Amino acid sequence: MKDPVVESYKKDIDRTLIRENLKLSVEDRFRKAMALARFADEMRRAGREARARRA
Amino acid sequence: MTDFGALLAALGDCKVEYIVVGGAAAIAHGSARLTQDLDIVYRRTPGNLDRLVAALAAHKPYLRGAPAGLPFVWDREVLQRGLNFTLITSLGDIDLLGEIPGGGTWEDLHGGSIELSVFGTSCLCLSLPQLIRAKMAAGRPKDLEALAELETIQEERGE
Repeated sequence: MKDPVVESYKKDIDRTLIRENLKLSVEDRFRKAMALARFADEMRRAGREARARRA
Repeated sequence: MTDFGALLAALGDCKVEYIVVGGAAAIAHGSARLTQDLDIVYRRTPGNLDRLVAALAAHKPYLRGAPAGLPFVWDREVLQRGLNFTLITSLGDIDLLGEIPGGGTWEDLHGGSIELSVFGTSCLCLSLPQLIRAKMAAGRPKDLEALAELETIQEERGE
């Protein structure tokens, strides 16, 4: 039986991202995730620096 | 940042018996969601505990979130006394799970899992149906969106 809460979340899932990921090898999916994590780390660092400058 | 490739290679080099679960397993299946750590279900036989200790020993495993300087001995006895360990290592964050809700132990899961060849090593990973069952069983609010994505992946694959 379908969970109505899960079904409601599905409306907002970006299927284009999933389709692009499914074209990649498993190793490339991990590489992409690590690149995104590096980007997130860099943005957090930049945010911390910007907040420190403002303080 | 967690170096998934280096962690998987370290476990593979020591022939640790484990199954990738959680967010990393979701990435393997095509998820676009970010995850910070590698979650694995490890086999709790004495030999495998020794291999797990050997695999991570060189990478400075320490209890994640624990105050610095707390005595922590990384050996088979510690693993035998506990079940689930959330660790930080020099290669990144890794969660060692003796069992997971909706899935059970390594013995319960390994028959239905799939084999991945990645980063020059091979490892077992939860199948998509296993991962969906585990997320359903976990039942945390944050899992509902992940569950919606996993079911969407299943639909996109035509399964």
